[in-house]
Amino acid sequence: MMRRRRRRWGRWLLAAIVAGVLWLVAANIRWPDRGPVQTVSAAPEQLALGRYLVDAADCAACHTAPGGAPFAGGVALPTPFGTIHGTNITPDPDHGIGRYTADDFYRALTHGEARGGRQLYPAMPYPSYRRIARADADAIYAYLMTRPAAAVPNPRNDVGFPFNIRTLVNFWNFLYRDAEGAPASQGQSPAWQRGRYLVDTLGHCGDCHSPRGTLGQIEHARALTGNASLGRVAAPDITPAALAARGWDAHALDAYLAGGIAGPAAASGEMATVVALSTSRLSDDDRTAMITYLLGDSPAAAGPSAVAETDASLAPGRAHYLDLCAGCHGAEGRGVPHVAVALAGNSTLRDVNPHNLIIAILDGIPEHAYGDVERLQAMPGSARELADADVAALANWLRVRWGDQKPTVDAALVRVLRSPAAASH
Amino acid sequence: MKTRPLTLTVNGRRHGPLDIPEGLMLIDVLHEWLDLTGTRFGCGQGVCRACTVIVDDADGSREMRTCITGAHWFDGKQIRTVEGHATRDAAGAVTAVSPVQQAFLDHYSFQCGYCTPGFVNAATVLVERLAKAPIAKADVEAMVGAALEPHLCRCTGYVRYYEAVRDLVLRTPGLVKENA
Repeated sequence: MMRRRRRRWGRWLLAAIVAGVLWLVAANIRWPDRGPVQTVSAAPEQLALGRYLVDAADCAACHTAPGGAPFAGGVALPTPFGTIHGTNITPDPDHGIGRYTADDFYRALTHGEARGGRQLYPAMPYPSYRRIARADADAIYAYLMTRPAAAVPNPRNDVGFPFNIRTLVNFWNFLYRDAEGAPASQGQSPAWQRGRYLVDTLGHCGDCHSPRGTLGQIEHARALTGNASLGRVAAPDITPAALAARGWDAHALDAYLAGGIAGPAAASGEMATVVALSTSRLSDDDRTAMITYLLGDSPAAAGPSAVAETDASLAPGRAHYLDLCAGCHGAEGRGVPHVAVALAGNSTLRDVNPHNLIIAILDGIPEHAYGDVERLQAMPGSARELADADVAALANWLRVRWGDQKPTVDAALVRVLRSPAAASH
Repeated sequence: MKTRPLTLTVNGRRHGPLDIPEGLMLIDVLHEWLDLTGTRFGCGQGVCRACTVIVDDADGSREMRTCITGAHWFDGKQIRTVEGHATRDAAGAVTAVSPVQQAFLDHYSFQCGYCTPGFVNAATVLVERLAKAPIAKADVEAMVGAALEPHLCRCTGYVRYYEAVRDLVLRTPGLVKENA
């Protein structure tokens, strides 16, 4: 009797599992989209607004591959869950968004639901775009739908089990999609309000600059305090106090966001792309608004840059500096225009977190062009020349000399960051 | 600037201890102290590689840029400059140039010659690396390109430089894997 009941129970369980698996499979099959191809005509003003907002939201950073057709997708984004690719958002009916209505587009942009109900991965910053105004979404839609269609198929994402089950994103959305954090600074002026929209929503700065939790969700309680888990280079803390401590004021931020270089600081890597594709294209008013939000309506004075005397215990670091760095950065750390930034007052040396300084010493920095005429030459990495303790000595000397920091870097930290897989510590 | 003693071996000959200012780049010591002027100062930014010399250590030979590397970094190290490649007799007269130098002559690789010391050193490092770790014939073209790519030549002599090194690698026994 007991056995028969158990057997019957087992049968029900089996049926439930089979049904569950079928549901998962069905939910994850991409049925061909046979909806009507949309044609959009829009007023020139709406197209101009759409183009501007596409820059402000930096769509191209993920949706235009280097050398590829504009907005045809293909940019690979490495995440802790696997490699996800920016998709084709040209009006191509089969590979792009050619069958999307304005409503479909708004749901994809702000809720992470592709046409037909498939869940987008939150590598698409829809939790940040959640608050994009409907009129702005419609302008972006009108602009994208009037670009040339590119029949470029979307690369397969390389996401491991169980994160490749798209339906599970529903659960993630239930937990995290609608969360909104407190503002990063104090303010209420119209510029501050506009800046909040540009920084937190359109610019989705927090997608790189905010720490993330175990499921990749943005930790709003620590918004914009920096994130070292996205790649070799950390996105630094850009809250008002941290910016001021590293010497940033409105003037320096304006130069940086407009042109990528501000005195002894230069955008490199992904931030150089952000400047080139997005912040440099903002209107002066919007850039000012962004800075107003980042620093607050009543910004603290930026910390002065200091040159500190260093004692004999740091002498080995100084010797490494003269041997391997001073050729371009200069014995006094003043840098060379169009070649190497100054290190005296340099934002990365003044960062409490030594992560990016150590990565720069180990890996070097590729050459960068800024706009039409400005550029910086490639910096050689010194991973082969310097042992872990040498890198630590060099970093400590630099941080004490020009960063107003304590010599807290040790060889163990350098050893962790030296490993190519090192993304966080 | 303060000075420190520097001892280094250049082209097999030991120099020093010399009293060398801290923070001076090696190329200045080569030119002003050792009278070795074959190493060229080009961009002074580590970009053109005309100033490249060879450093020899337990791992083999490798290139270093002397316009951006401090002289004291080379303390105790062994280096080769363009003056050190040819074979010389007891009186110091050149009796034969190195295979890399000969290949560049045979191919008329250079015009003004300013970048040539860097190319000679880069090609020499490549040949020495391949002697230790031969590669497949199909990979030679790409390997030569990768080795010479950082070096700039403003007379646009790249093709003849690349062809000279490729031919040298292909005809020198032991650099290319047989049956591969």
